[in-house]
Amino acid sequence: MGKRRKVLQGNIIVARAAIDAGCNFFAGYPITPSSEIAQYMSREMPKLGRDFIQMEDEIASLGACIGASLSGRKVMTATSGPGFSLMQEHLGMGVMAEIPLVIVNVMRGGPSTGLPTKPAQSDVMQTRWGTHGDHPIIVLTPAFASELYSETVRAFNLSERFWNPVIILYDEVMAKAHEDIEIPYKKDLYIYKEKNHKIKDLDIYDREIGENPHRVDFFKGYPIHIDGLEHDKHGWPTSDPKTVQKQQTLRMQKIYHYLDDIVKYKEYYMDDAEILVFAFGVSARAALPAVEMAREMGIRVGLFQPLTLWPFPKNILRQRFSRIKKVLTVELNMGQIRYEMERVASDDVEKRALLRANGIPFTPGEVLEQIKEF
Amino acid sequence: MRHYERYIRYRTFPTPWCPGCGDGVVLKSIAMAFSELELDPNDIVVVAGIGCSGRMPTFFNTNTLHTTHGRALTFATGIKLARPDKMVVVISGDGDATAIGGNHLIHAARRNIGINLVLINNGVYGMTGGQVSPLTPQRFYTETTPYGNIEPKFDIANLLIASKASFVARETVNRPVQLKDMIKKSFQHRGFSVVEVISNCHINLGRRNRMKDPISMTKWIDSRTVSKAQYEKMTPEERLHKYPTGILFQDTERLEYSDLYYKHIIPAAKSAAEAAAARKNKRNDASKKEKA
Amino acid sequence: MEKFEKELNQAALERREKRKPSPKQNDLTVVSVYCKGCGLCVDICPTGTLELEDNMVSKFGVSVRIAAPDYCIGCRMCERRCPDFAIFVNYEQPSRGTSNGKTS
Repeated sequence: MGKRRKVLQGNIIVARAAIDAGCNFFAGYPITPSSEIAQYMSREMPKLGRDFIQMEDEIASLGACIGASLSGRKVMTATSGPGFSLMQEHLGMGVMAEIPLVIVNVMRGGPSTGLPTKPAQSDVMQTRWGTHGDHPIIVLTPAFASELYSETVRAFNLSERFWNPVIILYDEVMAKAHEDIEIPYKKDLYIYKEKNHKIKDLDIYDREIGENPHRVDFFKGYPIHIDGLEHDKHGWPTSDPKTVQKQQTLRMQKIYHYLDDIVKYKEYYMDDAEILVFAFGVSARAALPAVEMAREMGIRVGLFQPLTLWPFPKNILRQRFSRIKKVLTVELNMGQIRYEMERVASDDVEKRALLRANGIPFTPGEVLEQIKEF
Repeated sequence: MRHYERYIRYRTFPTPWCPGCGDGVVLKSIAMAFSELELDPNDIVVVAGIGCSGRMPTFFNTNTLHTTHGRALTFATGIKLARPDKMVVVISGDGDATAIGGNHLIHAARRNIGINLVLINNGVYGMTGGQVSPLTPQRFYTETTPYGNIEPKFDIANLLIASKASFVARETVNRPVQLKDMIKKSFQHRGFSVVEVISNCHINLGRRNRMKDPISMTKWIDSRTVSKAQYEKMTPEERLHKYPTGILFQDTERLEYSDLYYKHIIPAAKSAAEAAAARKNKRNDASKKEKA
Repeated sequence: MEKFEKELNQAALERREKRKPSPKQNDLTVVSVYCKGCGLCVDICPTGTLELEDNMVSKFGVSVRIAAPDYCIGCRMCERRCPDFAIFVNYEQPSRGTSNGKTS
């Protein structure tokens, strides 16, 4: 038998996946609806001799995670909307100094304190643009229970491979629901192991466009300097225009050169579809049965579920839109990804959106109604 | 070459600080303290926040980290927990540590995590042009208090002692030998140690308060410096504007945070895991016997 | 030179006039390129050996000058007080008085 079946809460699935992926440092702060991750980590990490600490606020949590990541640990933290807003400054530091980090954001009703115990999908634009300055970011959006596990493991691999923060984004309903899941054995998991431990000189950010920095962690015998200020190839602060522009390009291109490896998605019934339904997270759980019911009625509709939300799967969608001329975006907010859809799809594609932001997730029947009217 | 120069990166000298700034004296004293303790530069990490004191890590030839404003102690907490055997030094200005970073200061003290903080107190936000800080003396003129400062300043030593820090000391930049010795003692302390260094910012604070060269500001600091023994004999009115120097509080009994974590939490967790596994095996054996 | 710099030089001269040259010869090394002419070493020297002078090599146009090298008693307070690593006393020799003889 290759897997073990268990019934676990969504948050616990993510925490379990993090431990299996090798996460050995967790610094968090309790917030509904992600406190269970911190509680599970506080019980399980010491059993394995790993570190857990509850810090005094979310800013301190991400700060401690960055410090531990620079000292060679695989780190994770978990939060929700208000805490994620506080973490933006340190998220920017993680991008600027090229530090591997994994952050879990369990979306809840917003803005501000909002609806702590109700789901929403209204942080999607914030995860892309929340922190100031030009920055690339990778955001993963699992929808089903098995994806909660596999996307968490993939998040650790991506963050170590590309030296960038990675955000795992799901919502309160998926976090709290207890579900049936088959957990793979550790020997069947792919864990990225090629992180640098030796470098040839202290020019840690010196590389060609599309490459990753040749950086090591602290205490490996190299007196490196890590800075939140804009820096040159040696890591020291500079404001020389040519160097700064080059560093900005290098940081963006290390992600955008590898879109094929980073952007993943799932498609259902797309071969002869005339309508494309775009849904992620908990909305995908409603859209999939709706699409199946519509197919039984004879409507030619397909579902596109992105697993990587940012960078947005623009090239793949444009290929689909050469044939499909109707798109329905389903999201639990007042309209955020529909603006991306307006940007990506050409003018001859008819674009509609099913939106709601009152804390009640969509049912398959509601999505089916929209498909029928299209 | 002097032994302490092996802890210095000369590549970006001369330093960006104003002539006569106390930051340079602290840089030299810390390097001398490293040298006298004969530490390996690879085993040290120097973390700093934002401000004039935040430029100090670039000059140390060790692992260095320059972080966001006020949060240097949180990064240092992560590093210390990940590598408890390494030495973590945090350099912070007065605005960085007590204004935006005030929360992290009291929590790091409460946890007694093994970080050595050097808090450079020049009474002003120097790098941004001279705005008021929580440690600016009352009635001083700054860029954001053009009519005089009406807020009293923190008494950092008492704040930290109340937050259960286990080593609190104060020195000034006018006494470089005593400063180096105090920094050395704080580095040898296992637990959260703080040395508050009274420093001079004559360009951005002194100049607006009739002390525009380093020597007059030095003399002003000297006039307010007393030893701990003299301070205890003073009346409350005399104590009002004085800075007692020396080791103000030391507790060598309290365990450091990561020591406590490895001594108490991990064994407790492992024994709980073993007990749970033993119970599960007993249930499995019992159910096997029933089936047989 | 500003007023306070002239006052410092005057005070150093007055300290020298009260003393005799020291019997032991001490080497003073000044790195003019790092010196910013702040005057802290001039103020702290107990024998008035150092003075300030106008000098275009230094970043701020003023730097330290060894006015009377035979008055130096080798106490090394200037080296300890200097914020810019610009002055050293007896650079080639390790100092006395510490257990490992290595520094300070």
